[in-house]
Amino acid sequence: MRLTVEELSVHAGSTRLVGPISLAIEAGEPLTILGETGAGKSLLAQAIMGALPEGLTAQGAITLDGRRLDTLPPRQRRALWGHEIAMLPQEPWRALDALMRSGEQVAESHAIVAGEGWKTAEARAHDALSGLGLEERAMAAWPGALSGGMAQRVAFAAATAAGAGTLLADEPTKGLDEARRDDVTALLLRYVEDGHLLLTITHDVAVARALGGKVMVLKDGEAVEHGAAAEVLHAPKSAYGQALIAADPANWPHIIPQRGGEPVLVAEGLGIARGRRLLLDGVGLSLRAGQRIAVVGESGLGKSSLLDTLAGLIPAAGGAVRRLGRGAAPFAVQKLYQDPPAAFAPRVPLAESFRDLERRHRISRAEREMLLERLGLSPGLLARRPDAVSGGELQRLALVRVLLLQPAVILADEPTSRLDPVTQRQVMEVIGAIARQSNVGLVLVTHNRTMARRWADSTLDLSDYTPLRAAG
Amino acid sequence: MAISLGKLTLGRIVQAAIVALVVGVVGFAMMEALPGDAAYRIAAGRYGYDMVTGAAAEQVRSELGLDRPAAERLLTWVGQTFTFDLGQSAVTGERVGHAIDHQLGHTVELALVAVAVALLIAVPIGVLAGLRPGSLFDRISAALAIVVRAMPAFLIGIVLMLVLAVELGLVPAAGHGHGGNFVLPALTLGIVLASVLTRVVRNAVAATVASDAFQFALHKGLPMRAAFLRHGVRNAAVPVVAYLGVQMALLLEGVVVVESVFSWPGIGHALTHAIFERDVPMLQGTALTLGLMFVLLSFLADLACRALDPRLNT
Amino acid sequence: MRLPRLVGLVCLLVIAVLTILGPSLSGFDPAKQNLRAILLPPGTDGHLLGTDNLGRDIAARILGGAQITLSLAALAVASAAAFGVGLGMLAGWRGGVTDRLLGALSDAVLALPGLLLVLLLAAIRPDSWWTLYAGLALTLWVEFFRVSRARTRVLTASPAVEAARLLGLGRWHVVRRHLWPDLSLQILTLAAFGAATVVTALATLGFISVGLRPPTPEWGVMMAELLPSWREAPWAIAAPVVALAATVLSLRLAAGSEG
Repeated sequence: MRLTVEELSVHAGSTRLVGPISLAIEAGEPLTILGETGAGKSLLAQAIMGALPEGLTAQGAITLDGRRLDTLPPRQRRALWGHEIAMLPQEPWRALDALMRSGEQVAESHAIVAGEGWKTAEARAHDALSGLGLEERAMAAWPGALSGGMAQRVAFAAATAAGAGTLLADEPTKGLDEARRDDVTALLLRYVEDGHLLLTITHDVAVARALGGKVMVLKDGEAVEHGAAAEVLHAPKSAYGQALIAADPANWPHIIPQRGGEPVLVAEGLGIARGRRLLLDGVGLSLRAGQRIAVVGESGLGKSSLLDTLAGLIPAAGGAVRRLGRGAAPFAVQKLYQDPPAAFAPRVPLAESFRDLERRHRISRAEREMLLERLGLSPGLLARRPDAVSGGELQRLALVRVLLLQPAVILADEPTSRLDPVTQRQVMEVIGAIARQSNVGLVLVTHNRTMARRWADSTLDLSDYTPLRAAG
Repeated sequence: MAISLGKLTLGRIVQAAIVALVVGVVGFAMMEALPGDAAYRIAAGRYGYDMVTGAAAEQVRSELGLDRPAAERLLTWVGQTFTFDLGQSAVTGERVGHAIDHQLGHTVELALVAVAVALLIAVPIGVLAGLRPGSLFDRISAALAIVVRAMPAFLIGIVLMLVLAVELGLVPAAGHGHGGNFVLPALTLGIVLASVLTRVVRNAVAATVASDAFQFALHKGLPMRAAFLRHGVRNAAVPVVAYLGVQMALLLEGVVVVESVFSWPGIGHALTHAIFERDVPMLQGTALTLGLMFVLLSFLADLACRALDPRLNT
Repeated sequence: MRLPRLVGLVCLLVIAVLTILGPSLSGFDPAKQNLRAILLPPGTDGHLLGTDNLGRDIAARILGGAQITLSLAALAVASAAAFGVGLGMLAGWRGGVTDRLLGALSDAVLALPGLLLVLLLAAIRPDSWWTLYAGLALTLWVEFFRVSRARTRVLTASPAVEAARLLGLGRWHVVRRHLWPDLSLQILTLAAFGAATVVTALATLGFISVGLRPPTPEWGVMMAELLPSWREAPWAIAAPVVALAATVLSLRLAAGSEG
């Protein structure tokens, strides 16, 4: 089996969005396309599939097992879906029909696409799902009740039920934490071992490393690097490839842990609840000036709620948070947010927001200008609205806004999870450096344990504090 | 957000109580606001101006309890509204319950036919437009919907009456009794409902077809037809049914207006008639019935939503 | 701005100017009857739109009707918006008991669908502009209330407002920079739809004899008066029909979104 793509590009009218790209995939040797988010990677998968959104057109030759696909009429191309070529969706919990039980969504692929009788189809779907480690309960559940990892397995079973030998996986680990991400890559590897073709599109270097095979690096819609995974991931040749690989937290330099100055924020025996349900119990934390602490744990564990409790935004369900020394001053505890545009008033120019802040706290403009310069930001950015500034710049502006108040503590809630890897590394370095220089204590919430290890002086793992485990 | 069935039912019961309260208070206020001696007016309405005597007025006064203190009458009044004890028409003397019994049948007939007309127009057009958003058909139907929605129901009624009845003589202009009488009111009300429903169906279908779930159904290999039947119809029906509540308000408003325009002997016509005649018992009876119909229909719409969408039952 | 919206706004502007200039623009008194000059076709003896069944100048009556209708729309919508937005922001911001009480109040108004409530209130005192104003304002405020409450709730819980609070920026900053820029556009849209509702309701009630009554030159009343003359003078009823349809269509187009 073999899939080749020659000079494939996607256009909107006369504008070229991505490509031209050439690639070849052989059985047992998966190809992973790496690149920053929003660079048109998804369009490539859709173009190969023949499922581009209306208004977009593809050019170039696509050949599967010696048969040209791009020249086929749309109807015949759609006839290949599920039978020969399948696509794994980006966000599986959105791709499954919320109004149909999970098992049936797999069974209908067997029945309608593969043409098995409904009885057989149900049995085959059952076998396929239990083979993927899903319980009966999950098969009978509505998709809304499934976890992200389970939903991705259901989607995988539904997409490949009719025996498609080629799988296009478009950001299959988006929004999943590390453990779930590894489940999905394992699933994909099993598919490859069965002698199938796999094309994966991701921004996560760790996924590319786990899958092996070949890697292509995409920058501005063009391939800047293409080769065996081992080579590309260890010795990238292009400047962008080097930056991208260096930006992977696993390649960050090791930190020399520091103890920090006097304590500024101390939490003891802290309980965190959402509604009436206790999420965390007995959490202890002592943050010193200039110290970086990372908080890690699976999604849904209560990481953000812990941060809000530390900030005094929601009351603790048990225990206490104390602010000490400089941390006791008003406005001494500040936050950085996951989605930078959501942290600013959306419809007013940034300068207005800054002016309100400076007037309120009688801060001189010179201070703002000094900070902008220190963080490498152009003052001209402030004339824009938040949505006209890039995510990385906006997160740094959020940092400037917070630093104007000379805080003792900054609580950062996944501040880089929406940024592409290269920007992520820049922003995390800036935040870290500022903490040391300005003697600010930092608490970073992240789902990325590798990043936590490389960046923080100490790490707090919240899975040690769930009530169940604490009781057992 | 999921709300328990019990809470939902309770909410609708409270709504019904509010309807009765509002109707009772309005009826009473109207009674108080009647100019001059209400008893004389009513007696005049019943027996003609020449025949009104002091004795006739006194009889009406005691019959309707007009001689008791205001506060007491308000309490009795609202109490009676709650127990559905509606008394007799102040004008014709007919028992209100009896009159409404008749009218309700006519109104329900009209509403059912109108809803059927609306569905016949809205579902095919909405689905076709929603399957190809941005197409010529979609844009024409959108423009048409905007223009029709800008027309008040009575205006649509006038236009249809002038064209179909007066100019072409195809159907009777007003009244009730023949099958042909159905055409104008049912068509008017149906068009009013369809102008909104078409766009709701169209938007729901367009959103469903564009959704990740529907696209995935296609990508996993289901043919368009199977995908639409299995993952389109039901999913598009959820927002349409959720919109039924708003449609119910439109339906009841429409019933009042259309019945009045075409002299259709239903509850809506009786209501405007009672207002014009200042017949308080009839007004209360008809308003209460319409209000309770609204509550009941809204409740049925709630139940339909829950039956369709498992996310609401958790 | 999209073209239909622009067209709607331009038409509204023209309608507003004509309304402010009023019946005097026609050169006739809208109330003056002339039984020797009934149902004159447009253009006869200086009657731009002709005369009605009692010989009154139709153009003057249309303009008089515009003043009655649009002043009612403006006042009812302005009061409804002021109350609805004020209370909605209060409820969304404070939450808790305030929110529940105001929510219950709006639910009570919604218990009877819009026009039915207006009809009932109008029944208390017939043929009264002020009763109609009260009824319409009472039904319209709920929509303003619900939208501003929902948006305020979402916005005050947003990271942007949370950050503003942590930064010590006061209530005024949140209202001015976060709530108002978000709400003002939606309020304008609601106001246009609300005005269309008022215009429609007034004409509807007038036509079915439970709103304003003759001889008031209200559009719905005029249509009821002129309908019997359709065969002899179709232009006569066309005038109020076109005035009503044009006004409602302009308002709905100016509102900008489908609704």
